Amino acid sequence: MRDSDALENNPHVSRSALEAIHGQVYGWALSRCDFDHATAEDLMQQAYVELLSGSARFNNKSSLKTFVFSVVQNLARSRFRRVTSRLRLVKQYRQESVTDAVEPVVDDGVWRAVRALPARQRDIIELVFCRELTIEQAAAVMGVTTGTGRVHYDRAKKALRTRLRDWAEEE
Amino acid sequence: MKQTDDSLQERVSHAWRQGAAEMPPSFDRVWQSAGTRYVGARRRYRRVASVAALAAAIVVATSWQTPAHETTYIELAELLESTYWSAPSDVLLPNREFDIYQDMPVLFESTDPAGGALL
Repeated sequence: MRDSDALENNPHVSRSALEAIHGQVYGWALSRCDFDHATAEDLMQQAYVELLSGSARFNNKSSLKTFVFSVVQNLARSRFRRVTSRLRLVKQYRQESVTDAVEPVVDDGVWRAVRALPARQRDIIELVFCRELTIEQAAAVMGVTTGTGRVHYDRAKKALRTRLRDWAEEE
Repeated sequence: MKQTDDSLQERVSHAWRQGAAEMPPSFDRVWQSAGTRYVGARRRYRRVASVAALAAAIVVATSWQTPAHETTYIELAELLESTYWSAPSDVLLPNREFDIYQDMPVLFESTDPAGGALL
């Protein structure tokens, strides 16, 4: 059934459904670009353009949230692959000139422990713990098999526990 | 184990919310910007496509107007007239106009008959 505000080129996606997950998608986009708000917003716009144009076509095989997360993930990957060197320069410049730094001010042990995890482990922890996806969905977003996702998830949890325990003992 | 997972999840998500400072921009604003980008991209695509179509049409039209190159054959007589032949010259020879038959070799005559014929 087609929603009244369904997209012309993506009949299974509606504007209201996207609005409902907007905050979570933004959070995911933010972590994809090292917590740079401007880049995250640009990434969101790009993802919406993909959905509007039908380049990214949702066919109800997964949940919309998983699908949009995957779109953001792929866009972020291709974007950074394409402009790695340019981005490095821009970031360098931004760090020098712009003060709206997004790097968290909170010096929380948990946050530090999460940030210290390898990328894949951090991703799965974010997706499962913070974005409320199942391991299967998270693995789909990351483009890995469920088995690999489980391995990353278990290792991430172990690493987090160990780090948190070590830091607690140090303090 | 489940309990420790839950508490870890709670701590991580709490820290993440605080650390990442996620304050999403208004959906309407992002959606509108995306719409503008989409329309702009479509317009650009149409412009490029129309220019390409126009160029293709021009190429087709000009190739139609110019007659196809016909294969022509040269006449045989014309071909023969165009070629020139002259006898080899003896200019480069060391002794010019040397006549090899100037001195005819003298062959001796045999008088010995052999089977009714002379050798």
